[in-house]
Amino acid sequence: MSSWTARAREFGLRNLPPEKLLPDSQPAYMTSAIYLFGALTIGALVTIIASGTILALKGPTWWHVASIGHSFNSIHLWSVELFFFFMVIHLWGKFWMAAWRGGRARVWMTGAVTFLVAVPCAFTGYISQQNFDSQWIATQGKDGMNSLGVGAFFNVLNFGQMYSYHILLLPIAVVALVSLHILLVRRHGIVPPLPFSDSVAATAESKP
Amino acid sequence: MSSRRLSNSELNEAAKHYDGPYRPYDIVKEVCVAVGVVALIAVVLTILFSSPDLSPSTIASWSRTMPVDFVTTAVSELDGTSETATYGPPYNHESAYVQHIWFINLQKWLGVSHPINAPYAFVIQPLRMIPDNLALQREVGAYKHAQVKTQNAWTTAYSNALAKAGARANGQVSVPAGNYGPVAPMMSALLALAQSGGLDGDLLTSSQFYQTDYTKPLLFMADGGLLAARAQQQGLLGTQWGMMNETGSYPGQVWLWLYTLGYQVSPLSTSSNVDALVMAIMGVLSLGFITIPFLPGIRSIPRRIPVYKLIWRDYYAADGGGEPPPSSPESSQPA
Amino acid sequence: MLRSPMASLINLNGRASYIHWHFFLMSVSNFIVIVLMLIVFAVALFLRAPGAKRPKDNK
Repeated sequence: MSSWTARAREFGLRNLPPEKLLPDSQPAYMTSAIYLFGALTIGALVTIIASGTILALKGPTWWHVASIGHSFNSIHLWSVELFFFFMVIHLWGKFWMAAWRGGRARVWMTGAVTFLVAVPCAFTGYISQQNFDSQWIATQGKDGMNSLGVGAFFNVLNFGQMYSYHILLLPIAVVALVSLHILLVRRHGIVPPLPFSDSVAATAESKP
Repeated sequence: MSSRRLSNSELNEAAKHYDGPYRPYDIVKEVCVAVGVVALIAVVLTILFSSPDLSPSTIASWSRTMPVDFVTTAVSELDGTSETATYGPPYNHESAYVQHIWFINLQKWLGVSHPINAPYAFVIQPLRMIPDNLALQREVGAYKHAQVKTQNAWTTAYSNALAKAGARANGQVSVPAGNYGPVAPMMSALLALAQSGGLDGDLLTSSQFYQTDYTKPLLFMADGGLLAARAQQQGLLGTQWGMMNETGSYPGQVWLWLYTLGYQVSPLSTSSNVDALVMAIMGVLSLGFITIPFLPGIRSIPRRIPVYKLIWRDYYAADGGGEPPPSSPESSQPA
Repeated sequence: MLRSPMASLINLNGRASYIHWHFFLMSVSNFIVIVLMLIVFAVALFLRAPGAKRPKDNK
């Protein structure tokens, strides 16, 4: 089969058949409320993007001069706080479940990288505020960036560059990583429980 | 009968498949409800708390409220002793603020990508742009053509005098009489330009009409004391764990706690390479965070501290009964 | 500085309070967020998700 399209389709169908991509059942062991926090994190990300889109439509000055703009800025800020709030609780839950088991290391890794990319995404947002807070964060943050040479191509004092990173480049990266993370979860399924006991009786057959 | 601990590979094998019972689940509805719930929480928090928006400082406001500080900073730019003037890459080839870790000197290696000649950028160039003031242009010319030794004598004398200077009611700075050469009239003119708002615009101007790069005005202000004074009032200084904080009483970037902690602990806190060291340590820890599934010891913590028994208590009580999930290898069954 | 059209009910623009213990210095609002996260995590461990019932004993 030499067609790239056919190969891509077969790859997709093999790894994510429709009933895996959009299942209507879940393992019976998923009773804990801790399982809600992945969805809550996604909910926060959607709210961030929706409020951020409104702010982007009206331009970076709008929220300083219009009360309704200030409201959308507030929604954007609080949804960022909620995003990190829910994401970290989700992370804690997954750590204590050792959710990387059974070939799910990439699920853990994409989640971890998402967190690590979300931090500079938030950073560029704080720098793009065009108020005193952004002046201070930029003039302080430059030392961290410059110390490792990053300041040579990532100038936190350049509003145009930081705004571009914040509304386009880094959100694309976060959404791409979250999408990959979710597709991997669907591909591998939710990790089954750990054995209740950490050890088993040692018999001749049971030696590893 | 002795027991042995399940190996990591046995656990991984057991977790690959699940053949036990399922229950109905609506994934699309769950995501929609999650979006609705979070959006509602965000709107409620907006109504309760709004968001902070402290107006930015300008060079005009700085020069009006702290004229002595402004002039002191301007003199340090002129004589090349300010932080920006001595910073190093990416602004110039000096070295006062160049950081490195052992022999790795990325700041130096990546070079001067945003060149700033501090005396010209912050003092000489803006003064040159003031129209219809021949006397001022003669003073600027006299300074530029003087020997370096003479220039330094003038600026040093003026800096020392500024330590005893005061601000007049008209916003001008008064210094004791002394031999300052053209520096005194240059600083007077620069202060007046700044207080009129003209210096904010001048520092943004370049060969382009449209501007979005605030490097020069921000570096100039950061060399002075206004931003730091406002930051201290808002609890944003490094010594106040300011990296995590927001202005006012708003919650800030709580997720930066470990990053800011690095700046508080010795020997990092007293090192001249503190930024590079903290960034590098956070880089290593981030790598560790990503690779937890592969780190022996760390990946076993969830087994050793059994929070999982709480999470899956229903499963163990009903289905598990102490047994691993179905489809686990035969070897893990007790004899 | 503008407020939202329904002006905020609680004004957080005043000077922050801090928790200061040896070299540890954290704003009260950040501390509350962290404590809230720990509480929510602990509560989530004990609660069941909506609609989740204790699985029937299949033995």
